[in-house]
Amino acid sequence: MNASAPHIEVMRSQLGRARGLGAGHSGVGHWWAERVTAASLLPLSTWFVVQMFRLGGADHAEVVKWGSKPVNATMLIALIITTFYHAQLGLQVIVDDYVHGKAHLPTRLLVKIGTSLLGLLGVIAVIKLFVRGSAAK
Amino acid sequence: MVELRLPRNSTIGKGKTFPAPAGAKNVRTFRIYRWTPDDDKNPVIDSYELDLDTIGPMVLDAIIHIKNEVDPTLTFRRSCREGICGSCAMNIDGENTLACLKPIKDIKGDVRIYPLPHMPIVKDLVSNLDGAYAQLRSIQPWMQSDSAPPPDSERRQSVEERAKLDGMWECILCFCCTTSCPSYWWNGDKYLGPAVLLAAYRWVADSRDEHTGDRLDALEDTFKLYACRTIMNCTQTCPKGLNPAKAIGRLKELQLERKI
Repeated sequence: MNASAPHIEVMRSQLGRARGLGAGHSGVGHWWAERVTAASLLPLSTWFVVQMFRLGGADHAEVVKWGSKPVNATMLIALIITTFYHAQLGLQVIVDDYVHGKAHLPTRLLVKIGTSLLGLLGVIAVIKLFVRGSAAK
Repeated sequence: MVELRLPRNSTIGKGKTFPAPAGAKNVRTFRIYRWTPDDDKNPVIDSYELDLDTIGPMVLDAIIHIKNEVDPTLTFRRSCREGICGSCAMNIDGENTLACLKPIKDIKGDVRIYPLPHMPIVKDLVSNLDGAYAQLRSIQPWMQSDSAPPPDSERRQSVEERAKLDGMWECILCFCCTTSCPSYWWNGDKYLGPAVLLAAYRWVADSRDEHTGDRLDALEDTFKLYACRTIMNCTQTCPKGLNPAKAIGRLKELQLERKI
């Protein structure tokens, strides 16, 4: 045995630790949104891939004309918002799994801000395309 | 942050070899994790060469033979030797299971035996399950009913209601599933783990229990329940053939059902 007993930092009972701070009363929304966005991305992504094939070889003016159609702009924005929302939900899961301690909260914030800004950038780009195309008519 | 390798004091070294008795024909090597808190040494793998013709068919028979005849210092838990007490849960041939239900002949090559993964070790194959037991207690695994039971009989349940408990009452709390779950390895302090969630759903599904909503309230948490990533190691490893992943899925569905 060591002459000086090792310092014990946590003496809280196992039950106290297991109960912790209690239930946060959230999680079901995140879990459901993950599934809804994943299912929505199936048709949206299929639509996008088909459209890209149809636009293959098109010149700039044609693409701008395509982007000025309300249906196309709507679908594009829906795709972008759903994609980045889904990415946010998924990345949060990865952060929860692998990042512990003090780094957890800032990393979570970084994921939220990063995906939101990227999504916003995509939406603005579609709006710009839509406005440019509509003005050219 | 992310841990990519074992802590220095957990890296496993090479241990002793106990050769087979002279004249043994049907020899198998059992490679077993050894660690004791009595010295400051790292864990090692000891090799025991046994004559399968002289021992019983199960892995538990082999390690009892080792303890009785070869090396009395080998430490492990065991009791019923027929898969009903859950004591001899350990990691055999890379999978968590009960040593008493695992036939040696089902394993190819050397038989590798480790304690249940990612739990503190008490000694050798004995892992410390205090945290998991406390988590079980935290979900209050007992009947909670405000209606008084009939004065002259037990609380009654229809055949259909009783059938909903099948696949859950059989759980023997060996924690093979919980300790096989990567999500539990990552967040075992906050995530309750499949064994405890199966027990929680057993009471949510019980028609005689009247605190279903309270139980769902207590589970609705980013980690306690929703740290489940549907990896399904729990269902794959369960030595009793139960399906904790399905119970966890049902809990999520019920929480959704009361929201929309």
